[in-house]
Amino acid sequence: MAKTEKIIVCCGTGCIANGSLEVADALEKEIKRQKRKVKIVAHVERSGCSGECARGPIVRLLPRDTVYYKVKTTDAKDIIDSLEGEPVKRLLHRQDGKFFEHMHENPFHHKQHKLVLASMGIIDPESIDAYIEAGGYVGLKKALKMKPEDIIKQVEISGLRGKGGAGFPTAIKWRTAAGYDNFPKYIVCNGDEGDPGAFMDRSTMEGCPHSVIEGMIIGALAIGAEKGYLYIRDEYALARQRIQKAIDDCKRKKILGKNILGSGKKLELEIVRGGGAFVCGESTALMASIEGRVGEPRAKYIRSVQRGLWDQPTVLNNVETLASIPVILKDGGKKYTKTKVFAMVGKVKSTGLVEVPMGTTLRTLIYDIGGGIIGDRPFKAVQTGGPSGGCIPEKLLDLPVDFDTLSEHGAMMGSGGMIVMDDRSCMVEVARYYVDFLCEESCGKCTPCREGLRQMREILTRICEGKGEMEDIEMLKRIGNMMQDASLCALGKSASNPVLSTIKYFRSEYVAHIKEHRCPAGVCPKLTKFVVNKDKCRGCCACSRACPTDAIKGKPKLPHKINTKKCISCGSCREACRFDAIETKGR
Amino acid sequence: MINVKIDGKKCTCEKGEYLYDVAKRNGIFIPVLCRHDGFEDRRSCCRICIVEVEINGRTKIVTSCVYPVERDCIVRTKSKKILEERKVIYALLKKRAPESDLEMPEGFDRLVSLDSGKCILCGLCVQACDSLGSGAISTVNRGTEKEVNTPYGNPSVSCIGCLSCANVCPTGAIEFKETANTRTIWNKKFKLMKCEECGKVIGTPEELNGESLCDACKKAQVAEDFRKTYTNA
Repeated sequence: MAKTEKIIVCCGTGCIANGSLEVADALEKEIKRQKRKVKIVAHVERSGCSGECARGPIVRLLPRDTVYYKVKTTDAKDIIDSLEGEPVKRLLHRQDGKFFEHMHENPFHHKQHKLVLASMGIIDPESIDAYIEAGGYVGLKKALKMKPEDIIKQVEISGLRGKGGAGFPTAIKWRTAAGYDNFPKYIVCNGDEGDPGAFMDRSTMEGCPHSVIEGMIIGALAIGAEKGYLYIRDEYALARQRIQKAIDDCKRKKILGKNILGSGKKLELEIVRGGGAFVCGESTALMASIEGRVGEPRAKYIRSVQRGLWDQPTVLNNVETLASIPVILKDGGKKYTKTKVFAMVGKVKSTGLVEVPMGTTLRTLIYDIGGGIIGDRPFKAVQTGGPSGGCIPEKLLDLPVDFDTLSEHGAMMGSGGMIVMDDRSCMVEVARYYVDFLCEESCGKCTPCREGLRQMREILTRICEGKGEMEDIEMLKRIGNMMQDASLCALGKSASNPVLSTIKYFRSEYVAHIKEHRCPAGVCPKLTKFVVNKDKCRGCCACSRACPTDAIKGKPKLPHKINTKKCISCGSCREACRFDAIETKGR
Repeated sequence: MINVKIDGKKCTCEKGEYLYDVAKRNGIFIPVLCRHDGFEDRRSCCRICIVEVEINGRTKIVTSCVYPVERDCIVRTKSKKILEERKVIYALLKKRAPESDLEMPEGFDRLVSLDSGKCILCGLCVQACDSLGSGAISTVNRGTEKEVNTPYGNPSVSCIGCLSCANVCPTGAIEFKETANTRTIWNKKFKLMKCEECGKVIGTPEELNGESLCDACKKAQVAEDFRKTYTNA
């Protein structure tokens, strides 16, 4: 018989926003009322981590392993009533007409390979005891008995590469830093995740802060650092709070401080709150920011491992990289499977955090795990690697996702942001959007990035408004190529990727905008006219209700009509229509 | 000793020497706008000094003013690619600073000027001000909004009106006004002091720090003191 001993309520940022704290209260009240003996663990279950933030609050019953989605306070009674019986069907995951009670059966989860995300949703992130019980700090204990070179050896065997985007082998970085006989040395954790739509690092810091801390301590032992900084972006309040709690608990347990677990080794960790600049995710800008200077990158011909923070040897690793370290030390480098966490968002059915082995194809990610495109519309492109990544078209969907393959095709794996787009995304507008974002976020130090982005924004806006000329495409390419070669930092070097990759794979859309004054996806307002297909319209009035300017008129059950003078081409009607009756034309 | 072949010319240098300096010493001109011999620190932000470096058959593009030469290499400062990219950078700078004397390369008619004025944001003025110990101006804002200014654009208490920023500016973008008795720069008005001996304008009280003679009169006075010391003895 199904048994429930504890109820886990997800309390990550996403679920809290959806009211999970209230749900936890309601469940507790109901348990008291019914006088049941069940423990409620209210904590981050998968704060976006198993990705289903969009379907929170998520409630999980253990050990029977029943997962409920979109739970409301009013569901509390039904859940408590059925703790041992049949699950509440209406709250279960449903896909293709089937219900899935257990998490591992759910197609979203069973193709994943969870290492970094493994303990998230199972343990309480605010409890160090829970982490230790789940095998935490075993890796550290092993590391304390090893020589620094042996620690690095294990990391080398594992093949771990920096997961922040560049993919630099972690072991080489550590070994180089360990080789300098110049003290003090520093270890820095980069938690300044700034890509739009990416939340892997936030979830990791919120969901399993101790894994990051443990990774940092092991890294510090390997390179000989006694001071470490966690640079966490301003917006991540909950992550900072949980990391701080983890640091405090570690100090109490003597895992951090002047005598780590009696070994005589020292390490102090400190959180630095980021100022909110995207560019501060770049390593040299981040270090400048920690030092209290303007967050601008410098030329990296002399690497940070040699001269980083305050000109001392510094190792900077991404959150996810550090969180992978404890497993490597615990089980040994040989057993480690190289994985990557992606934040899959956009027009895909199941959005969320997905951890898969390196080399998984984009098709598996989007169709098998993500469940395909919303409304089963045609897939158009997937944008990987954040704003400086590129757009990958359908014909390359069978590419294995790893550091090298994607960059060969003008995109990059980046830190793991992945935005899926359907046929209603205009690729010129997408390029313009990213360039606009980068215009705001470029630090403005070097000419190529600062001026190049600004000119590209002008040209792209012009094309979206139908004022482009064919030579504009050439100009975009010239500026883009120059930026790749001549920019100061990685942000600038990759900033033209969205433009260059859309020109490469979706040139016809640029041409349609310029020559035919038409936006093929029906997005750019100045080039799009919306019309109702009379044969398809059923007169349901959904479009007229959705229209913000009252431009659609029609009687129920009869075809509707759009007043083009009032229409602002926002596309709300097309989103609202369930019969595909709203079509677009060029102006 | 490292062997570097720049545009076909054989040169040698110490390990870690900046490529730009090696070229300059050997009479090879590489254009640059954000670098000044007076400052040790190099911002490497104009990016005009890019060159191609080939090591063991692999070519990469580097910024010569901050690229330390670590091993034997072949350098091309005027390859087709470098010239093309430099041209694009020039065009972008000219569009940023249309009133500057930079020349507009041909073929960039579709670019529009987004600013007026002469500033190309090379940051030399900020470096000059910093190295003199004033720190009155800085680059402010981020990205495309970036500009050089005093804090909040207010007259700065730290500014001593020395004009170093204006003098070091390669495009003459920093404006100042002088009358017979006053000087105005960065929205701050300074009194102008005159030499007690000859009456020549010698600067603002803030920069003079008690000094009351011009250079020539000061020299004359030192010589006079010297003469007195010895003739009286």
